[in-house]
Amino acid sequence: MSSSQKFRFEPAPDLPGSDSLNRYGQAALRPLISRLWDVTIEGAENIPQRGPAIICPNHLSFCDSVFVPYALPRRVWTIGKAEYLDDWKTKDLFPAMGMIPIDRAGGAASQVALDTAADVLAGDRLFMMYPEGTRSRSGHLHKARTGAARLSQRTGAPIIPTGHSGTLAVQPPDQFMMKTGLPVSVKFGKPMFISDYGDPSDPRTIRVFADAVMFEISQLSGQRYIHTYAGDYDATTEGAKLKVAIDLPKGRKKAVEPALANEMVSNM
Amino acid sequence: MNLATIIDRHEPNRTALIDGERIVTFGELRTQSTAIRAVLHVIGIQPDDRVVIVSGNEPQFVPCLLGALGLGARIIPVSHMTPLPELDRKLAAVDPAAVLVCEDAGWLLEHQQQFAAPILDVNTLDLTNIDGAPEVMERDPDDVAIMMLTSGISGDAKIAMLTHRNLEWAQTALSGDSNNGMLESDVVLASLPFGHIFGLNAVLLTALRVGATSIIQRRFDVDASVELIAEHKITVLAGAPPMWRRWSGLADATESFASVRIAVSGAAALRDDVFDAMQQVHGVTVEQGYGLTETAAAVTNNRGVEVRKGSVGKPIGDIEMMLVEDDGTPVDPGDSGEIVVRGPNIFAGYYGSVDKTEEALSANGWFWTGDVGVIDDDGYVFIVDRVKDIIIVSGFNVYPAEVEQILLTHPDVTGAIVVGEPHDLTDETVVAYVTGAVEPEGLITFAQDQLTRYKCPTSIYVVDELPIAATGKLIRRELRS
Repeated sequence: MSSSQKFRFEPAPDLPGSDSLNRYGQAALRPLISRLWDVTIEGAENIPQRGPAIICPNHLSFCDSVFVPYALPRRVWTIGKAEYLDDWKTKDLFPAMGMIPIDRAGGAASQVALDTAADVLAGDRLFMMYPEGTRSRSGHLHKARTGAARLSQRTGAPIIPTGHSGTLAVQPPDQFMMKTGLPVSVKFGKPMFISDYGDPSDPRTIRVFADAVMFEISQLSGQRYIHTYAGDYDATTEGAKLKVAIDLPKGRKKAVEPALANEMVSNM
Repeated sequence: MNLATIIDRHEPNRTALIDGERIVTFGELRTQSTAIRAVLHVIGIQPDDRVVIVSGNEPQFVPCLLGALGLGARIIPVSHMTPLPELDRKLAAVDPAAVLVCEDAGWLLEHQQQFAAPILDVNTLDLTNIDGAPEVMERDPDDVAIMMLTSGISGDAKIAMLTHRNLEWAQTALSGDSNNGMLESDVVLASLPFGHIFGLNAVLLTALRVGATSIIQRRFDVDASVELIAEHKITVLAGAPPMWRRWSGLADATESFASVRIAVSGAAALRDDVFDAMQQVHGVTVEQGYGLTETAAAVTNNRGVEVRKGSVGKPIGDIEMMLVEDDGTPVDPGDSGEIVVRGPNIFAGYYGSVDKTEEALSANGWFWTGDVGVIDDDGYVFIVDRVKDIIIVSGFNVYPAEVEQILLTHPDVTGAIVVGEPHDLTDETVVAYVTGAVEPEGLITFAQDQLTRYKCPTSIYVVDELPIAATGKLIRRELRS
C-alpha cells in the first residue's frame, strides 16, 4: 500500500546534491519500494504540507532511512557521515535520498550538523533525525539524545513523532541485503511544539520535550521504552573525550539493564 | 589550623552580634569562647569528642561552638525545638561527651537526668572567667569540626562530617570582593536556623570570619524581620523560599529593602513568581544558590555573574561539577543528569555509617548529590528534582516537581506534593496530594490538558496539610510511606 498523499518533489538548488539526480532517484525508488514491500502508512496528514518540520522516527534498522522518507509526502533531508560517499554501495543512493554529508571527524562536528539542519529547516523543508542517535540494538525504544529537541527549540520547527515496525525483519543488523515481500508500517503522529512543554528558554524544557516525543513514538511503534541511551557512544564525535565515566560510589548498585538483546529478535 | 580562631583578627570593640537590645563584640566573643574552652577542658573534653550544642539562634551559640572547637572537639548543633524523643535518638547516634544547653533550650534542663552525657547549662557558666583555659589546639585541615544531622525526622538520618578545611573553604568562597561575597562592612540578617548548614556556614560563620555584624532573629517573623532590615540597614539578606514568599507579599516595605546588596535564597527551589515579585515590587534581585550539608553549603551561586531566573548559578571557584547517568557516564550537553561534585568542600563521610558513605562518595572523590540538574550552554545550573523522588511510569521518568508546578498553577490549589505509587501495569503511577478548595476530578482534567499522559496524576487526594519543612522543602517520603 502506498501513501494516500501524492509525493511532492521540492527542488533545493541551495543544498548539496543534485536536484535532478534526486528527482530521478525518487522517481525510480518509490514505485520499486511499493512493489517490493507491503508498506502501510498512517498519519501522513500530520505532515505539514508546507513549512519546516523535524521528522523523528525510532531507529531499528539501516533501512529505516529508506522506508520513512518513502512514507513522507514531501522530500526530506538528513545528515550522514561523509564516509558514506566513499562507499560505492551508498555514495549515489544516500544523496538521492536526501542525505547531506557531514565530516564527523572534525572537532565542531555536532555544531556543523546542527547548523546544517537549521539551514534546511530555515528553507521551510523537512529534516529527519533519529532522536535515539543510533540504532537500537535491544529492539526497545531508548532515551532520546537532546539534538532533536534542541533543534526544535532553536528553530521553532515542530517535531513529528514517527513510529515504524517491520524494518528490522527486512534488514537485520549487519546484513546488506533487504528481504522483500515483508510488511512495513510507518505511522506519523501530530506535530509537537516545544512551547507546549514548558518555557523554551528554560534548559530543563529540553529533556521534558525530548521525553514527550519518545512517549509519542512509543505509542506509534509499540516499543517498550528504556530510559538509557541506545548503543555505544560514537567515539568520532567531539564529546568523545568527555565521555569517560567516573567511578561509581562503591556502595551504589549499578542500574540494572532491563533484559535486552535478543528478546526482540527472538520474537520476530 | 582551627576554625575556633576565625574571629581572632577582628577589632575587639567591633560589633559581632546584635540580639534585640544586646550587643556582643568580637572581643567579648573571644573571651566567652575561651571561658567555654576552660570549662570543657575541666570536664575532660578531648580532641574528636562529640559536643552537642542545643540552642536557638542566640548569641550563646557562638562561644559554645568556638570554645569546643578550640579543644579539637567535634560539634553537633541541634535545634532547641527538637522534640525530646528525637533529641534522645540524636544523642544516642553521636554519643556526646557533653551537651551544652543554651538559653532557648532551657526547657531541656528539666529532663537532664534521662541523658547519659553531662549536661551543661550555659546560663549558669561565668563566661568572663578564662582561668585555666588551654591554648586553641592546632588541628589538621582534614580533622572533623562539625557533624551535621542532615535528616532528623526520619529513620534514615545521616550525620555528615565536615572538616575544618570544608567549612573554611566555603566561608572563604562566599566572602570577599573578588567573589562579590560578604565583606567586613556588611550587616547580615541571621534568621536562618544555626542548626542548618545554610544558616550556620553560609551566613553566621562566614559573617564571623569576615567581621561582619550579624543581626540575630531568633524566630522568623516577617514583620519583625522587615523592621530589623530597616533599623540595621541590612546589606546581606539570606532566606529560604518561604521567607522570600512572605517578603515578596509585603506591599509597603520596599524602602526597607533599599540597603540590601546581596539577596540569596537556598535550601529549596525559589518559585519564579516570588523571584519576579521581589524584583518588581521591592527592586531586589534574589539569587539562588545551591549547596548541601555535605558540601558545607556551597556548590553554585550567582556571585559575580548575571542572575538568571530559575538558575542556581555556576559552580563556585574550583568546584568540579558533572552531570552523569546512573553508570557514571556524563550526559550529553544540555541533558539532565545526576549532579556529582568534587572539591575542597566535600565532606569526609557520614559518621558511623560506612555504607551510607560508600553510597555517596566514590573512591576518586566525587560526591553524588542525589539531585538531578541541567547545565545550559552558558554554564548556568538548573535543578530539576531529587533522584530518589523520580517516578517511573512504563519506563518513562516523571519528575514530581514538574507535576507539582502544573498543579500549583490551578487557581484553587494552595499546595501540592506528588509521589509515585506501585501500579500493576505501569510499575508506578503518579499520585498527588493537594491542599485547597478543589475537586480531584476537575484537577485531574486540568492536569491532563497540560501534561504528557504518563505524567498525569491518576489519583488526587485533597488534604488539610502537607508535610513541608520550614525551609520550604517538600517531604515527599512521608506521603510515599
